[in-house]
Amino acid sequence: MGNVPTKETRSRSNTDSSSVSDFITSGGAVSIQNTIAASSRSSQRRNTTSFNGHQRSASSELRRMKRQQEKDNALEKHYHQLIVKFNEHVDGGYLAPFGTYKSNLDYNCDVVRRLIIEGKLSPFFTPLQDFDESWTDEELYIILKQLPLHALEPGFNDEEEEDDVDDHKIHKSSNFYKRQEEKSKLKALIARVKEAQKVEEQRYLESKATSTDMSSRDLLLRLYRQPRECPICFLYYPSHLNVSKCCLQPICTECFVQIKRLDPHPPHEEQANANPNEPPLPHTLISEPASCPYCASPNFGVTYVPPKDLCTGIGGIKPSQYKQYTGNGDITDEEDEKVSRTNKKTPPAMVRRKSATPELITIDMIRPDWETKLLSARNKLARKAATASAIHASNLIISDSTESASGVTDDTRRRRGSGETGRRRGNTAGSASNSNLRSIEDRMIEEALRLSIIDEEIRKKKAEEEEAKK
Amino acid sequence: MAALPKRIIKETERLVSDPVPGITAIPSEDNLRYFEVTIDGPNHSPYADGVFNLELYLPDDYPMCAPKVRFLTKIYHPNIDKLGRICLDVLKDNWSPALQIRTILLSIQALLGAPNPDDPLANDVADDWKKDEKRAIEIAKEWTLKYATKKD
Repeated sequence: MGNVPTKETRSRSNTDSSSVSDFITSGGAVSIQNTIAASSRSSQRRNTTSFNGHQRSASSELRRMKRQQEKDNALEKHYHQLIVKFNEHVDGGYLAPFGTYKSNLDYNCDVVRRLIIEGKLSPFFTPLQDFDESWTDEELYIILKQLPLHALEPGFNDEEEEDDVDDHKIHKSSNFYKRQEEKSKLKALIARVKEAQKVEEQRYLESKATSTDMSSRDLLLRLYRQPRECPICFLYYPSHLNVSKCCLQPICTECFVQIKRLDPHPPHEEQANANPNEPPLPHTLISEPASCPYCASPNFGVTYVPPKDLCTGIGGIKPSQYKQYTGNGDITDEEDEKVSRTNKKTPPAMVRRKSATPELITIDMIRPDWETKLLSARNKLARKAATASAIHASNLIISDSTESASGVTDDTRRRRGSGETGRRRGNTAGSASNSNLRSIEDRMIEEALRLSIIDEEIRKKKAEEEEAKK
Repeated sequence: MAALPKRIIKETERLVSDPVPGITAIPSEDNLRYFEVTIDGPNHSPYADGVFNLELYLPDDYPMCAPKVRFLTKIYHPNIDKLGRICLDVLKDNWSPALQIRTILLSIQALLGAPNPDDPLANDVADDWKKDEKRAIEIAKEWTLKYATKKD
């Protein structure tokens, strides 16, 4: 898609923090329209090519389309919120990560942006790769001035090529094409976002000399004169980082948003072995809040105290207006007060921001979807288990005829009572004649053939239409 | 290949400038995420006087996921299998991004000093260990002598 997203158009779905987080870009809006058009085309196709009662009702189709569209919109918005914008400035930092990490960026951007604006989480500061105390203010300032908005090598690893499970099949299922489509959509989105970050970087360079959104020399030196190394990424940040609530260790926001629950997993042996012979059941999958990376205390959380003498950017003064009384060196409380007294023109919003008492921010707050993820993992496992037992049951029917002895048959009889096999075999349950079995097998093969032919035809039609469009 | 994160560069530098006694880790020339590691067997353990070779690889997600470590030298230990894979909590679910190459290698060295046959990876070794610990320790010593002694 050629259009380069530029900031502006307001999105409809934005509910919170009005002035800042509205950013579905015009590029994004166009692409959404395209998606709608594409999905309505595909739905028409499906209606005209409905095979033996596979027709769906129009309303469910609509609902499905709407869901898909919502999903696409949310993804679009999420990625656009990962773009660092120099005019989204809070106390010398930004609302989007610098780009130290290329993956695991699935945290909730709305929540994190709000927390940063409210002063409950440190902003995303641009990290210093190296620091030497012997640097003079002038040297340090030159280095700081040259820092880019975003890591020079913008990239999201989410696009990594994974081999699809269906890749080796001759006739691919419709799900395979759906997955492929989604993958290429995501890829295109990421390409657009990277492009948008480049544009933003360019704007940043061009307005460096003039814009009031640029940090003043005093502000930069105030922040980076005595930086602190984040113990996880080993990069240097302004010293007032978030601290862990349990052991008071510093952590930069970029590392903090990387920390998340492990994927849903069966409980560990110690916890689970009440009934060792039972296979893992779907509902036993668990997910626990992450532990502190430093001291391993459960339920990791951080607090952040914004410095009193700073209030620039959103809800504060323009970053270019920040002046420090003593120019450099330590800031004592006395000086703190002096500064805040002089900054009288600061708007009331700022007072609200600073008066907030430090609040514990946990990793579940910035990834509130963990519960849905757990449920869907359980559902997936439940479906797998159901498929497995269906296959198991049908295997038993076949083995029934060949080995009429002992345990196997008993087991089969018992199972046959339960609907699964009874339904398939009609009234023949209990008397398994060979011809009957063969006809069931034949029917299953026919059905499999029929489904793959349908899939293939749908795919061809789709390909033809794509051709015709070009 | 993507540029190396600062964290890996700094860790490597610090491993060189401030080495851990009894442990070496040297990055490979063609892939700076791949390290050749040696660990000295701890004193008062069946592995004393042995020098064990390992390989360590830092995956793309490092430090958000654990390094991959494997013994290259044959070793008789209930928590290390025939392929050199290591059963250690901090290499799996208990990994923390605040841990480092250095701390992980120290944990592995500590594991040599404190085998845990109740949470085995090599089941046969663990069984031997539980049945007759003295004998198992003897075998471990023999293996150390045979496979993990420096060739002069």
